Amino acid sequence: MNNNPKKQSDSIFIPVKHLETIKVFEKKSDCDIWNAFNKGDEMAFNYLYRTYVQELYQFGSQYSRDPSLVKDCIQNLFIYLRKKRGELSEVTNIKGYLFRSIQREIIKNVKANTSLKGVEDDFLEGQFEIEVSPEVSLIQNESEVERNRLVKDGIDQLTTKQRMAILLFYEEELSYKEIAEIMNFSEVKTARKLIYRALASLKEYIKTTGE
Amino acid sequence: MSKYNNYKKYEDFDVEDLLADEFFVQWVKSPDENNSHFWEKWLSSNPNKRGIVTQAANFARAIHYKEKLEFGNDSYIEIYEAILNSDSEIQIASPKRTLWKSFFSLRNIAAAILLSFCSFVLFSVFNKDLLTPNSEIEWVTSVNPGGKKTIIGLSDGTKIHLNSNSEITYPEVFGDSIRTVFLKGEAFLEVEKGIRPFIVELANSKIEVLGTSFNVNQSIDNHVEIALLEGKVKVNDKIGNQVMLAPQEMLVMKNNGEFFKSSFDSLEVIGWKDNYLIFNNDDFKTVESKLRNWFGIDIEVKGTFKNSWKYTGKYYDESLENVLKGIELTSDIRFRIDGKKVEIYN
Repeated sequence: MNNNPKKQSDSIFIPVKHLETIKVFEKKSDCDIWNAFNKGDEMAFNYLYRTYVQELYQFGSQYSRDPSLVKDCIQNLFIYLRKKRGELSEVTNIKGYLFRSIQREIIKNVKANTSLKGVEDDFLEGQFEIEVSPEVSLIQNESEVERNRLVKDGIDQLTTKQRMAILLFYEEELSYKEIAEIMNFSEVKTARKLIYRALASLKEYIKTTGE
Repeated sequence: MSKYNNYKKYEDFDVEDLLADEFFVQWVKSPDENNSHFWEKWLSSNPNKRGIVTQAANFARAIHYKEKLEFGNDSYIEIYEAILNSDSEIQIASPKRTLWKSFFSLRNIAAAILLSFCSFVLFSVFNKDLLTPNSEIEWVTSVNPGGKKTIIGLSDGTKIHLNSNSEITYPEVFGDSIRTVFLKGEAFLEVEKGIRPFIVELANSKIEVLGTSFNVNQSIDNHVEIALLEGKVKVNDKIGNQVMLAPQEMLVMKNNGEFFKSSFDSLEVIGWKDNYLIFNNDDFKTVESKLRNWFGIDIEVKGTFKNSWKYTGKYYDESLENVLKGIELTSDIRFRIDGKKVEIYN
């Protein structure tokens, strides 16, 4: 028997194919990926799903505590996008676009289910809660434990809007432009101001409380 | 602003200035050649800022969602399948609405005019020429037995990859008004663009094309699969149903008259023309018939293979022996090759 046969078992077949999809699209710009998807490229759809479904779930769950509702919304969003292939408009930042879309879809569904008014203005309890991993400080020379506790408390003092912007900016790595669009600000600089003020008030909190 | 270069601008930065800077956060979270180059340079010319850069970087990296929610493998697969399945539920019988919609888009007007012109031509053609076939046309028939694949060039520049166990009939030179070919079995067609419509006649249906590439596979029992790679095709069956296909869509027509659209994996469907032999979770019967067609061999099966026996594999331009060896390695079969006769047992 040949020691080095050209074997292609099923355990290799599928992953290799997936790897190639990622390789192909990783190097492309969001614009190109979106165009490929719009033209009906199944690999592009595959890439979009695999790349963003987990992030959409994490982000979407901030608007509803019902996992099956969030999952249904993700499913509906992709079905909608597939149906609209061929007539979708240009998208330069896919993540920002998908986040906006899933936000709209979930709020619509939550509203329909609860018939509450103004869900999108009044944030619910426990939305966009932040965890701060250790080894963090905004001010030098504090004791390790103390400063970590201070940052955590400081973060908890922030408004939900501020926490949301901070998560979108640092955790999700979205630009101010994308954040402004997701948060419905007419001007990009409003997003920057929101972050800047959050940081300033956090620093202030740590300074005054720490002394 | 423009008077100051970046070095100046960032010189007076404090922790929160850095943290509010998109370019800084990008470097900390997703370093690449461009941002690293800048920030490393900046750090070496501003060594006193090292402390606040470290602080800012630590902060940016420390921010996470409090509750990590996992989408989970089951949901991942379940929802993926639900999304793909919804494609086939898209009502096939209402092409009118989408057609009208596209009429209003400016960039489609040219295409629409062309389309209506062509349908006019087609209409006249059907009324005259096709009903009284031109007896001067010389018809050619190419037949591929099992194990043989050919590429045929037609007079208009159209290229036809004809699979094994398939047959195509075409005119030596196309007439002035219409291009018609008759197909049995499987072929991949790259149809040259032209004003004359290109028609593929199957036993129970007809595919109408303007300039495109697609795969047609019609089994002996008249199960038909039409997979469109590029362009646009229109499929008519005998009882008057009409379906438009968009790129990457596959139309499946069962022999009981049912039909639906689905997506397809282009390597699996069209790979054969580039000598890819693909098995995708195929049961023994499917593997056996694929081998028989591909290599034009007789297979004698000894022993029994359960329904749960499945095989997945991809072969590029491989010999019969190597393919069988590959299957043997993972899927518990034994084989003996004797010329065009193969014995498979377990």
